[in-house]
Amino acid sequence: MAKRLLDFRDRTAVAGVGYTPFTKDSGVSTLTLACRAVLAALDDAGLGPGDVDGLATHRVGDSAAPTLVGPALGIRDLSWHLDQFGGGSVSHAVVGQAALAVAAGVAETVVCYRAINARSEFRMGGTGRGLPASPEVQYQAPYGLFAPPQQYAMYARAHMLKYGTTAEHFGRQAVTQRANAVKNPRALMRAPITLDDYLASRWIAEPFRLLDCCLETDGACALVVTTAERARDLRRPAVLVSAAAWGGGESHLSGGPADPTTTAAAALAPRLYGRAGLGPRDVDVAQLYDCFTYSVIVQLEDYGFCPKGEGGPYAASGATALDGELPVNTHGGFLSEGYVHGMNHVAEAVSQLRGDAGDRQVPGAEVALSTAQPGYVLPATSALILRKD
Amino acid sequence: MRPVFQVATDRDSAPWWERTGRGEFAVQRCDACGRARFPARAFCPACRTERWHWEAAEPEGTVESWIVNHQAFGAGDGEPYVVVMVRPAAVPDCLLHGGWRAAREPVGGERVRGVFTPGASGLTLVDWEPAGE
Ligand SMILES: [Zn+2]
Repeated sequence: MAKRLLDFRDRTAVAGVGYTPFTKDSGVSTLTLACRAVLAALDDAGLGPGDVDGLATHRVGDSAAPTLVGPALGIRDLSWHLDQFGGGSVSHAVVGQAALAVAAGVAETVVCYRAINARSEFRMGGTGRGLPASPEVQYQAPYGLFAPPQQYAMYARAHMLKYGTTAEHFGRQAVTQRANAVKNPRALMRAPITLDDYLASRWIAEPFRLLDCCLETDGACALVVTTAERARDLRRPAVLVSAAAWGGGESHLSGGPADPTTTAAAALAPRLYGRAGLGPRDVDVAQLYDCFTYSVIVQLEDYGFCPKGEGGPYAASGATALDGELPVNTHGGFLSEGYVHGMNHVAEAVSQLRGDAGDRQVPGAEVALSTAQPGYVLPATSALILRKD
Repeated sequence: MRPVFQVATDRDSAPWWERTGRGEFAVQRCDACGRARFPARAFCPACRTERWHWEAAEPEGTVESWIVNHQAFGAGDGEPYVVVMVRPAAVPDCLLHGGWRAAREPVGGERVRGVFTPGASGLTLVDWEPAGE
């Protein structure tokens, strides 16, 4: 059932992006990282903290809340704020919800941010944190299964068994993304790699090697979301939010379809494309959530860029390279630029549509897809379609 | 070796873990529509009925996937261990995990049988071994 929420398509825009450097040890608090990224994004837009009336983030108990960041920047009266619990799956929901708030008129200028010390303080793989607060943990952790690379490796092998996906398919995507990072001054990993380097990298959790895994990163990234009209009056070219979508459903433990080779993104995608009024063939550049190589493969299928089961061969064909038919993770992605839990995917999509992505610019990019963790581990996902004004 | 984690059961799951402690692989079956479910929870997702009974099932299934873990996450020591994802015969629209009890790696789709194993937090875990070997 297609519901019309409000006149949303292309009514809001991203007017600025900001980053801190990506490192392995920031040496500062997540509050400091958040403030730096928020100020950088505002500066990019030609705005200041006095223009902000909304702040939004997501976190898993590992970062500074909007109600801390606002006062720290002297923002006394936030008319809208969002402190979304959750990891990568809700990263794009944060931006989508900010755009909804602006479209609804409850805020005019919202800064979305994600600030993490994911290497030096709070490692997703366990060190520095307890087990996730989910009832499902009790059915996994006693068997030594709890870290994201382990969980994703399990899904990846299921895909290999069902569709014949291979290590070479995963490796080709890792090599492609590293080639993009070579052209990205922000990227943590800028030395080119070959398929042999990939195959020689050490096992983490078979079938995953080290180079299947994203980079535990300290850093922050922020985006300014405002009305399209206001964005057009600001310093940078406006990038329109054409559509936002949210998805949920069943997990592998909940007694649903229990197909570990298809994600919640498959159900979300038609909703997202429908709201934007376009389809996968209209997408010029895609930033697909790449906590691991395999998550790119499965999303190529679930977002409709190739038939189910053919994500591996599609990626290995070169289609996802900068000069391919669908450039994917043009900044190098979480595998090679850094892992800011999703926000840096949206920021790269904005750069590509503004045409300021430098050596990694996709010529003539007009429509970008940017996606969240596609709904493994917990059944939730979110995504955005952005468009050049 | 697999690392040892203390985990908390909850008010939904405690009866299931009590049963594994007695060497029983139990599923919940809806009193209204008869659908079996796992893990434990009060409402049938098919018909929303809040009445069920516990039913002992054969701890049998097939291998859906597996990993060979190498990285020492958390309390781990870095010695490789295998975790399998099993599709239980009694609840085929669900997937569950367990340790692997064989010297060789699993094979996709192979039939396996549950092995009750003492674990952390006083829980009896369900590991899996090849059926009929
Ligand atoms: Zn029922």
